[in-house]
Amino acid sequence: MTTLQNGGPTPPDLSGRNLSLRRAVADRGATALIGLCVLIAALPLALVAWQVVSRGASAWSLAWFFEEIPRNYRTEGPGMGPAILGTLLITGMAALMAIPVGVLGAVYLNEYGKNKPLARFIRTMADVMTGVPSIMMGLFIYVGYVLVIGDKTGFGGALALASLMLPIVIRSTEEMLRLVPDELRQASSGLGARKWRTVMGVVLPAASSGITSGSLLAVARAAGETAPIIVTVGLTYIYKPDLFDGQNTTLAAQIFRNASQPFAASQERAWGAALTLITIVFLFTILSRIIASRFAIDKR
Amino acid sequence: MKLNRRAIFGGITAGTLAFGLAACGGGDDSDTGADGDMVSGEINGSGASFPDAYYAAAIEAYAEVNPDLIVTYNAVGSGTGKSEFGEGLNDFAGTDSLVGDDDGVEAGSFQYIPTVAAPITVSYNLPGVEGLQLDQDTLANIFQGAITTWNDPAIAATNEGVTLPDTAITIAHRSDGSGTTANFTKFLDEATDVWTLGSGDEVTWPEGSIGGEKNTGVAQVITQTEGAIGYVDLADATETGLMTASIENAEGAFIQPTLEATTAALDGAEVNEDLSYNPLNAAGAETYPIVAPTYILLHTEYEDETVAAGVKEFVNYLITDGQDIATDNYFAPLPDSLREQAVTALNDTIA
Repeated sequence: MTTLQNGGPTPPDLSGRNLSLRRAVADRGATALIGLCVLIAALPLALVAWQVVSRGASAWSLAWFFEEIPRNYRTEGPGMGPAILGTLLITGMAALMAIPVGVLGAVYLNEYGKNKPLARFIRTMADVMTGVPSIMMGLFIYVGYVLVIGDKTGFGGALALASLMLPIVIRSTEEMLRLVPDELRQASSGLGARKWRTVMGVVLPAASSGITSGSLLAVARAAGETAPIIVTVGLTYIYKPDLFDGQNTTLAAQIFRNASQPFAASQERAWGAALTLITIVFLFTILSRIIASRFAIDKR
Repeated sequence: MKLNRRAIFGGITAGTLAFGLAACGGGDDSDTGADGDMVSGEINGSGASFPDAYYAAAIEAYAEVNPDLIVTYNAVGSGTGKSEFGEGLNDFAGTDSLVGDDDGVEAGSFQYIPTVAAPITVSYNLPGVEGLQLDQDTLANIFQGAITTWNDPAIAATNEGVTLPDTAITIAHRSDGSGTTANFTKFLDEATDVWTLGSGDEVTWPEGSIGGEKNTGVAQVITQTEGAIGYVDLADATETGLMTASIENAEGAFIQPTLEATTAALDGAEVNEDLSYNPLNAAGAETYPIVAPTYILLHTEYEDETVAAGVKEFVNYLITDGQDIATDNYFAPLPDSLREQAVTALNDTIA
């Protein structure tokens, strides 16, 4: 009230120092509550990370990353090389198939399809597919590919993971494209660019960082999949750089395999493989963040 | 605004390229010829998880005998192993149960080869109580929830001089479909009249029982729950340090689950024409009554001669020299008579 008498307006007091007792208590209480929620949300994450690092770190050595996997569960010592290679190859191949198709599919949905019946149908199906249990994708590939060619291969696993990733990539990319302001498209058209140039040269780069993190989410999810891998990929102890030649293996499958045995040696390998998988996903996350920020359009 | 067409590819596919580049490394397997008569190549087996620890150990030992033949065994479960066998996805299958009509395996297209056997222990967690003895009816009643406390007169009757606490009994069982469950319930079903829950890979356990994933999970439940009792394979029971109960056999003796008692059970079991046999509740004073057999399924015809020769060589190793490492892995070797029959059958199946 005093401010009015003095004439000129003073900026409102936002420091919260002069609040009434009731409001001060409510303010502090709410702040504390939110802080607590953050802590509760972060706690399981921290515990998982701590547990995996503390139990898995002892398995690591130089040989761990390069040696073949011991055939016997009870043989102590390192070796996850083939599984690391298998994880990188199979997930990489899956990403190579799913991400371009998924991104271009999202371009169709958002730039061309809009609300046409076909686009709406695809959108609904993609939503449904994101909720399908991963083992269903594994069985789909098992019936549609593995049984047809009569052999379990790494490529079968890549197909299964790709079909898992595809709906996630489509939906997350579409959301990102929707966030690109229409003014950009209009400006591009106004300068005489054709629609495909607008899409490739303006819309996609503008959304690139969001698309990258969406695709990354899909890759990270696929890298940790166990059930479809076991159904379609099989098992190996040796390096199999050719995805089309015989059975393969991944870290997730090795975690599952080794953890279900009672022997200390195999359980240590399971923890080591878990740490390796987390590290790979982590490194890949950082890498793609760097790439995304480098190629993103300068923030205005 | 500065736009760069590379940005598109950068943003979208740089990540996948990074993966692709990382994938370009890696060794390759050299195809060196095998020495002498040894087969080189690769054979794949899949199936039962029950003998997985033994097969894994045998595969490692075999890799030193013949490093040129790469053998893998993928423990996907008996049921999946059999259907993959029917589809021709594996070169041999491991199975704990016999081939049924709906397994997708054509009758007459396969041969059983018994490899090893192992006891299913009845493990419990009851501090201060060692050497628990259970007769077959009491065992059945415990697992179907008819006996609910440890100081029940039925348990006390076979455990004179042991102070039993009034702790409640918690049943620990497999939550996943399992050949171990099938063999355990089949034993209770065949050996006792009181068992009412039937038998199979999965049965409906009494309320309040706790499920565990695989043998390791059941062993964990028992370790963590005072008063728990469950059925676990010998490897998990021993590695986890569980107490095992002595079970009454067909001749009324209480026997601990040892490998000797298991081999004795195989000796006492009747072997069928197709080499399948039922070692549950077998005759003999020294036999442990709950013994699970396991077999390898061979095709009677192989398209690829190298694969056939490889399978023959490896399976032959399993039932001859490989038997020596069975005991180290808590599996009982076959008695000599059954082993000879298995070798003969193997030679007849794959010429």
